[in-house]
Amino acid sequence: MSLQVEDALVDLAKEKRRSPTRTRLWNVLLAPPALWMLVFFISSVTIVVLLSFGHVGDTGKPVFGFSLDNYKALSDPVYLKVFIRSAVFAIATTAISLVLGYPVAYTIALHGGKYKNALIAFLVIPFFASYLIRMYAWSTLLADEGLINQLLRDTGLSSGIRFLNTPGAVIAGLVYGSIVFMVLPIYASLERMDTALIEAGKDLYHSPLQTFFAVTVPATRAGMLGGVLLVFLPALGDFVSAQLLGGPSTYMIGNLIQQQFFEGQNQPLGSALTVVLMLALLIFMVFYLRATQRVNREK
Amino acid sequence: MTDQISAATGASDVTSQTPAIELIGLTKKFGDTTVVDHLSLDIRRGEFFSLLGPSGCGKTTTLRMIAGFSDATEGRILLGGQDVTSVQPHKRNVNTVFQSYALFDHLDVEGNVGFGLKRKGLDKSEISRRVNDMLELVDLGGRKSAKPRELSGGQKQRVALARALVNRPEVLLLDEPLAALDLKLRHRMQVELKEIQREVGITFVFVTHDQDEALTLSDRIAIMNNGVIEQCGTPEDVYERPKTVFAAGFIGTSNLMTGTYSAGAVTVAPGLRVELPGHPELIDGSTASIAIRPEKIWIADFEPDMVRVHGTVAATVYHGATTQYLVNISPEIQLTVVEQNLVRSHHDDRWSDGDSVEIGWKPEHVVVIG
Amino acid sequence: MASETVPTTGRRRSVEGKPTFAVAFTALFLFVLYVPIVVVVLFSFNSKKSLSVFGGFSTRWYQDFFNDEGLLSSLRASLFISTVTMLCSIVLGTMLALALERVTSRPARITGTVALIPLVTPEIVTGVAALLFFTGLGMKLSLTTVIIAEITFSISYVAVIVRGRLSSMSDEVEEAARDLGCTPFQALRLVVLPTILPALIAAGLLIFALVFDDFILAFFTTGIDPQPLSVRIYSEIRMTISPAINAVGTCMLLVSVLLISLSLVVPRLLGRKDSSLDLISGG
Repeated sequence: MSLQVEDALVDLAKEKRRSPTRTRLWNVLLAPPALWMLVFFISSVTIVVLLSFGHVGDTGKPVFGFSLDNYKALSDPVYLKVFIRSAVFAIATTAISLVLGYPVAYTIALHGGKYKNALIAFLVIPFFASYLIRMYAWSTLLADEGLINQLLRDTGLSSGIRFLNTPGAVIAGLVYGSIVFMVLPIYASLERMDTALIEAGKDLYHSPLQTFFAVTVPATRAGMLGGVLLVFLPALGDFVSAQLLGGPSTYMIGNLIQQQFFEGQNQPLGSALTVVLMLALLIFMVFYLRATQRVNREK
Repeated sequence: MTDQISAATGASDVTSQTPAIELIGLTKKFGDTTVVDHLSLDIRRGEFFSLLGPSGCGKTTTLRMIAGFSDATEGRILLGGQDVTSVQPHKRNVNTVFQSYALFDHLDVEGNVGFGLKRKGLDKSEISRRVNDMLELVDLGGRKSAKPRELSGGQKQRVALARALVNRPEVLLLDEPLAALDLKLRHRMQVELKEIQREVGITFVFVTHDQDEALTLSDRIAIMNNGVIEQCGTPEDVYERPKTVFAAGFIGTSNLMTGTYSAGAVTVAPGLRVELPGHPELIDGSTASIAIRPEKIWIADFEPDMVRVHGTVAATVYHGATTQYLVNISPEIQLTVVEQNLVRSHHDDRWSDGDSVEIGWKPEHVVVIG
Repeated sequence: MASETVPTTGRRRSVEGKPTFAVAFTALFLFVLYVPIVVVVLFSFNSKKSLSVFGGFSTRWYQDFFNDEGLLSSLRASLFISTVTMLCSIVLGTMLALALERVTSRPARITGTVALIPLVTPEIVTGVAALLFFTGLGMKLSLTTVIIAEITFSISYVAVIVRGRLSSMSDEVEEAARDLGCTPFQALRLVVLPTILPALIAAGLLIFALVFDDFILAFFTTGIDPQPLSVRIYSEIRMTISPAINAVGTCMLLVSVLLISLSLVVPRLLGRKDSSLDLISGG
């Protein structure tokens, strides 16, 4: 018994002697960022979860607790309607982005020629303009007295259309806000795709469209999945589009959260709303990871 | 400077008997897989030594353990008599030429080659002098300020070699350094590599899977398979006198026949006895494997004392300088025969498929394995 | 023979015919992408206080902006936040990326992976969490709290970009450095970091632009005075619509476009292939 322990200790010592200091260096490097994330991210998300079981105290300050009152309050139809609306908006945003973004990625990847990189850069640059400014730009364009309505009236096409405060405007804003995150992964997967596949497909299938759906789309499924993730996540939590292009009738869960923290000052309720949002995303992520695993397996 | 040289020569006098590298029971395991298995080996000073084997045989892992990039699970590594098993790579007096060259993109050729000397803290003029000498040696004198991305594959290769050699290591380790070059360039670099090695006199340990490369360059070759050394010897040793079935098969082509030995012949197939004169060490009734190189088998103009066998030509493959015949000597046994095309002028003036032939070989060209 | 050729060419025509539609669609897409931005810039030079009728060229809104001490202090605040965040997150993010590429122990790997979660977390969640954390600790909301929140978000971003670059760099490069006499740390300092420097610069510029433009995190974590420019604009937009905002917006656009263009160009100038564009598109 003691011999075994001795052997183990000798082995351990040997291992220690032999393992180069590089492993130590990497752990030293890992520590500060890991610690930072632990303190400022993990622990603060934990606070959100904990506070969602709390309530507002007599002094108006949030108090921790163990009650489900906030979640019970959220089962009210008023909130449920907003949850469903958020989900519908986010799904619509993702679907529209996919339908609009795919042809663009396809055209640039397969017909962009030597302008490919320039076109992608041209596509990316507007998305680094402030999201807020871009939403603001749309709100001035779509306003009742905005440029588009002005043009409609000047050309006599219409006496004016109400764009703002409609679900359409909010979804359009969301699509405009993040469609690039749909185009880029699809573009990347098209780039990686062997074009010989398409050529082979042309011999097998009759129309280009059949080839497209039988060959190109399956080959780029990983890219599309990536795009879906990158568009859906921010869309579900957004509140700027609904704030600037919509109104109370188009509010999303993000607007409710923002209200609880800045207007209602009910932080526990706001925390519960945030937890609901996180849960929704978690469920989405589970399905998403399963889908990507399936795609990877098929490869 | 003079002191340094005399000190160095003095030291080498004392230790000239010590091998440059001694590997003692060297073992590397990754989890449950043993990649290198109790490998023991001495590599002599000034030798061009090759580790030859198929991919996954453990040759690169062995090299990495000598360099210090990979820790030995068991066993010891001695460099010039000193145990360096647990010494970190930067403190070992060996340098490596990597398969990918691993040049530093942010430095020019001069910076790359002088990198190791600068780490040693040599003064600028000394570094510059040695870098210049080395660049002259590898024929890159005019490209001192080029960045790696501006160099061709062959030039990168030379920079990588110069960067390692300039440090005058005890041992230079080369990990398939020519694998990425095209055939023509590879042949040229082989010649240059050998010349450079002769000139600098440093021990080279060369990892390759290319048997021709190993045969051409090496003073000695170790053939590795599944983490063990199958055979270690001069190129002639390993080619002419393979000790194992693997060694016989891996280097060149070998005709292998296995059968029972009795009364000066081996029964390799029912009713087919192949004479095996001059092997008194074999006991009647024991199993013997014999190997004969294709070019050692004659197909005409036999000499008196040759062992002869009848067969049928199954296929002929014309290679220009040589023609290869596949000859069936029994339904199960096919031998490869390579003939120099010394007399041939038309395809029908030698043998073609289906012809009955007699083949023969000199007894001393038969190698008995195991 | 001839009769067989005809349908083949016909089919090929239809394939070649497709790009016309696809190219037109893409052109329209890019056009719509730029319309709002062009309009913002255009009306920032409007002499009238209208966002639908252009009354003539004027720089009055820019003069307003540069005379508005409040807006200017917000601009300075945003530049300060972006600079500090950029520097800190490049350091921490690069450390994280290096460690993630190399640590092998399980707990270390888990820690590293957890550190990337902010990338798949909507900013509003990160914002709420940061706000509760700061108020819970009794910290006064200020530029410091904004910076901390922005760094938290940016670390993961930098880590992903730098990791992408590291994984395309052969391990042998680092081993070569060790082989030539470097300690692990010297190998990092003298070889690995200089090799990935263009990617670091590109990532830094990208982070600067992202943080400079960021609204949500700043909105949740900022104090009252001075506020970052984006938060300031948000409250102005809600009160009034005026070309003055367009002027500020145009300045912000200019900063971002400049930085992004730089981040695309710098790696090329340094002669290295890796641009942040490749990193963004994953190509």
